[in-house]
Amino acid sequence: MARPAHPHAMQPSRPGSTRTAPPQMPPRYPMGGRYRNYTLFDATGLVYLLVGFVALRIVWALGSGREAWQSMLNQLENPLYIAFHVLAFVSVVFVAVRFFSLFPKAQPPRIGPAKPPPAPVITAMLYGVWFGITAVMTFVLIGGNL
Amino acid sequence: MSERQKKTFVITRFDPDTDEVPKTESYEIEVEPYWKILDAINYIKDEVDPSLSHRWSCRMAVCGSCGMMVNGEPRLTCKDRLSGYGDTIEISPLSNFPVIRDLVVEMDGFMDKFNQVKPWIIRAKELAAEDGPMRQSPEELEEFKQFSMCINCMLCYSACPVVANEPEFLGPAAIALGHRYNIDSRDEGAAERNEVFRGEGTVFSCSYANECSEVCPKNVDPAAAVNQAKFNAVIDWATGLVISRDGKE
Amino acid sequence: MEIESISHDIVIVGGGGAGLRAAIAVAEADPQLSIGMVSKVYPMRSHTVSAEGGAAAVAREDDNFEMHGFDTVKGSDFLGDQDVIQYFVQEAPKELALLEHWGCPWSRNEDGSVATRAFGGMSTKRTWYATDKVGFHMLHSLFQHSMRFEQIVRYDEQFVTKLLVEDGVVRGVASLNIRDGVLRIIRGRAVILATGGAGKIFPFTTNGNIKTGDGMSLAYRAGVPLKDMEFVQYHPTGLPGTGILITEAARGEGGYLRNKDEERFLVERDYGVGTKAELGPRDMISRAIIQEIEAGRGLEGAHGQYMNLDLTHLGEEKIQARIPMVRELSKLYIDVDPVEAPIPIRPVVHYMMGGIDTDIDGATSIRGLYAAGECASVSLNGANRLGSNSLTECLVFGARAGRCAVDFSRGIDEGSDANLRAQAEEEVARIEALRNKRSGNEKISRLREELNTTMESGCGVYREEGSMQASCETIDVIKQRLADVSLQDGSRVFNTELIAAMELANMVDCAEAVARCAVVRKESRGAHTRRDHPHRDDQNFLHHSLAYYEPGSPPRVGTKPVTLGKWEPEERKY
Repeated sequence: MARPAHPHAMQPSRPGSTRTAPPQMPPRYPMGGRYRNYTLFDATGLVYLLVGFVALRIVWALGSGREAWQSMLNQLENPLYIAFHVLAFVSVVFVAVRFFSLFPKAQPPRIGPAKPPPAPVITAMLYGVWFGITAVMTFVLIGGNL
Repeated sequence: MSERQKKTFVITRFDPDTDEVPKTESYEIEVEPYWKILDAINYIKDEVDPSLSHRWSCRMAVCGSCGMMVNGEPRLTCKDRLSGYGDTIEISPLSNFPVIRDLVVEMDGFMDKFNQVKPWIIRAKELAAEDGPMRQSPEELEEFKQFSMCINCMLCYSACPVVANEPEFLGPAAIALGHRYNIDSRDEGAAERNEVFRGEGTVFSCSYANECSEVCPKNVDPAAAVNQAKFNAVIDWATGLVISRDGKE
Repeated sequence: MEIESISHDIVIVGGGGAGLRAAIAVAEADPQLSIGMVSKVYPMRSHTVSAEGGAAAVAREDDNFEMHGFDTVKGSDFLGDQDVIQYFVQEAPKELALLEHWGCPWSRNEDGSVATRAFGGMSTKRTWYATDKVGFHMLHSLFQHSMRFEQIVRYDEQFVTKLLVEDGVVRGVASLNIRDGVLRIIRGRAVILATGGAGKIFPFTTNGNIKTGDGMSLAYRAGVPLKDMEFVQYHPTGLPGTGILITEAARGEGGYLRNKDEERFLVERDYGVGTKAELGPRDMISRAIIQEIEAGRGLEGAHGQYMNLDLTHLGEEKIQARIPMVRELSKLYIDVDPVEAPIPIRPVVHYMMGGIDTDIDGATSIRGLYAAGECASVSLNGANRLGSNSLTECLVFGARAGRCAVDFSRGIDEGSDANLRAQAEEEVARIEALRNKRSGNEKISRLREELNTTMESGCGVYREEGSMQASCETIDVIKQRLADVSLQDGSRVFNTELIAAMELANMVDCAEAVARCAVVRKESRGAHTRRDHPHRDDQNFLHHSLAYYEPGSPPRVGTKPVTLGKWEPEERKY
C-alpha cells in the first residue's frame, strides 16, 4: 500500500456527502520508476548547497594567508573532496541535460510579436552557451589571457 | 479465435458504509488477448461481482471516465492493453484523490480548480450570432490546439508530486486549460487569468517534474502548458509595471 | 426522514450538447432565473463527446438554406417535418457561429474562415469540423462556457428516476444522488429532458455505456408518446468487435469502401446512391454493405464478416491533418494503421431518429415538459438522419427548448408540495426495495444481453415480420423477468448495480417501443427496411408512429401526420 498523500489533496471546497478514504501518494513516488530522476534532480540542490560551503571555505582560506591557502589545497587532494567534486560535476551535467531537454517546450508559442525558434535550435543554443562558457573558464583557469 | 488466458486482478475495494479503510480483493478470470484493462473490469462487474463500482462510458478514450491506477501507474483503462501485463494486475483508484467507493474517486475538488482558471472565452465586447464566426488562421489555431485536447481524465493529477503535497495547487489540467484560452487569438482575458496564475498555489508551485505529460493519454503535454504559463505570467507582470492597463489595476 | 426539496426555475436533465445549450439559452434569456442541471455523469463525460465528423450549417457561397433543407428532407425519406427543417437550416449557421465565439477550435481555411467538409447525403461541403473530434470540442466548449454562469447549478452524478407530474403539468423531478443514495425532489417550473439516445439496447453500437434511453423512458412513463422509434440508424463504419465509430469524415475526405475483391461496390453496383458513391446516406450504405456480405463478398474476421474502408490513397499528411482520431482509434483498437492498410468496418447501431414526441418548440404533451437532442424526436431526421445534422440539432433545438421553457415558466405557479412529496416517497420506497432485493433468479447482465440479442435479430438493418414478432415476444418476457432481478450490492454509496437495474428498465421501455412500432410499419422507409415490404408506401405510411405507454401491457401504437411543405415526396434516389 502506498503512503498517504496530503490529507487535503484534491478535496473539494465543500465536503462531499459521504465519508471518503484519504488520498494516497502515487505508489512509485519518490524513488520508483520515472520519479527517481525527478527526486534526484531535486536532491542535487543539496549538492549545490555543499558546493557553496566549500567555495566559502576556499575564499576564507585565500584571505587568511599563504599557509591557510596551502593547507586548503592539500585538503582538496583528499579522495573525499575529489569524490565530492566528481559528484558535483555529475550533478551539474545531470541537471543541465534534464533542464535543457525540458526548456524548449516551456516557451510560449509567441512572446509579444516574436515567435521563439524551433525546439532543436533552442537546445543547440543552450548547449552552445554552456560549452562556450565552460571553454572560456577553462582557458582562463589554465592561465590563458583573454 | 485466439486463446483465452487466466489472469488475476487485485482490485482495491472500499465501501464507507462497511469498511474503515480500503482493502483488496482478488479475481481470477479468463481474458481475451485483445481486451483492454477496462474490458476485464467490466467482465468482473457483469459476471463475477456486481458490487464492484467503477466509472466508464465511451470505451474509446475520449470521455475520460475510466482513469485508474494499474500496477501503480495512472492509466486510461479503456486504452490500456491487457497483453502488456503479467499474470497478476493490481487495480486501484487514482492516486492523490479521496476515494468515494472502490475505484471511484472524488471529482469535485478537480471541478473546483477547473472553475478557477475561467475556462471560457473572455471578450471586452461580446459578439452576436449574426456577426458570424471570427477569423483565426490555421497557425493561430495550431498555437493552442494541443492544449484543447484534454479529456479531463485526471491522470495528470494522479501523477503529480506537487498535487500530492500541496492541496492548493491548481494542477496540470486546470492550468493547461487556462493557458489554452490565454493563447487563443480570439480571447482577451489573459490579464484576468494571469492574475489568477500569479496567486498562491498556481503556476509557480509547479516544479516541472514533467510526470503529468508522461502519463497523459492524449499527448496534451500539460507540463509544457504550465511552464509556458509561468513565462507568460512573468512577462504580463513585467509589462504591467511599464504600461498601465485600461480599467484595470 | 423528510425528503429534501430544492427549487429552481428551470430544471434540465442531461448535461450533453443539448442540455448545456439549453442551460446557456435560459441563462441568456433571463439572468435572474436559476437553473438546475441534473446529469448522471459529469457533463464532460456525456456522449456528445464521442461524435467525430462535424456539424452541418450553410457556410459557403455555393450553398443555401434551400439546398440544406432539401438534402435533409430527402435524407429523412420525406418523414421529416418541413417546418422544423426550415427553421433548423436557418438557425444552424448562427448556432455554429456562437459555438465559435465560445471557443470551439474549428478547423480553418488559409484565410481564417471556418473550413467545411463533404458528408454523406449533403450536396455540398457544409459540415464544419474541428479535425475529427467535433463532438469532443463542442461538448467541452459548451461546458466550459456554461461555467461562467453562476446561476447554472449542477447536480452531477444524479440519476433522475421519475418526472413529478401533477394534473398534466410537470413540477420537477425525483433525483437520486448516486454518491450517497439519497433521493431528492428538484422542482422546476419547467423541465427540459436532454438525456440522449438509447443505443445500448443493441449489442453492437457506437454508443457509450450511459446511453440507456433514460429520458425517453421518463417521458414515456409519464404519458408522453415516443415518436418514430422504429427508425434506428446504423452507421456504416464501426470497428468489428467493439463497435467503435470510424467517422463518416473518413469518406468525406475521400475514403473508399471495398469488398473482398477490392471492388468499390457502391460504384460497381446500383445501391441507389448514384454518383454519390461513398457519400451516400447512411441507411443506403449500411444496406449495401449487408447485401455485399450476403452475396459472399465480405471479408472474414474474428468478429464476423466485414468490409474494408480504404484510406491508403489519402496519404499520411492528409489523414493526420483531417482525421487523426480515425488513425488513433484504428491503431489502438484494431491494430491497423490506415496510412498503410484498409480499416475493417461493419454497420453498427449509432443513433435513434425516434424519441420523445415534441413540437418545434421542444414542447411535449405534458405542460412544462420539453425535450431536445437525441432523446427527443422533433422530426428533423424523419426516417434517416444525415450525418452532421445531429450536433447542430442539439444546439438549435436545445436553445429553442431553453427559450420556450423560460416563456412557459413565467406563467405558471409552483404546484402543490404535498402531491410531489407523496410521489417522491413512493419513489424512495420503490428504490429502497430494489436496492435491498436479494431474492430473485435474474441477473442484470444476463437480461441486458438477451435484450441486446433479440434487438439485433429482430430490429437490425433488414427486418421482417417473423423476427420482429419474435423480438416483441422476447421483450414481453424480459419485462416480466425484470421483476425477478436480484441485486448483490446493498450499499447506498455509489451503487452502480442499482443504477444499472434502473437503466435496464429504461432500456426495455425503449426497446419495446422500437420493436412494436417496427412491426406496425409495413413498408420500407429510411432506416426501417423490411424484406417483406421492400417499398415505401406513402399511401398508408406517410405519417409518424407514436408509442403510448400502457402499464402492464405493450404500448399502444398510434400515428401523427407529417408536416409537409414545398417538397413533395418523390422517389429517393441519388
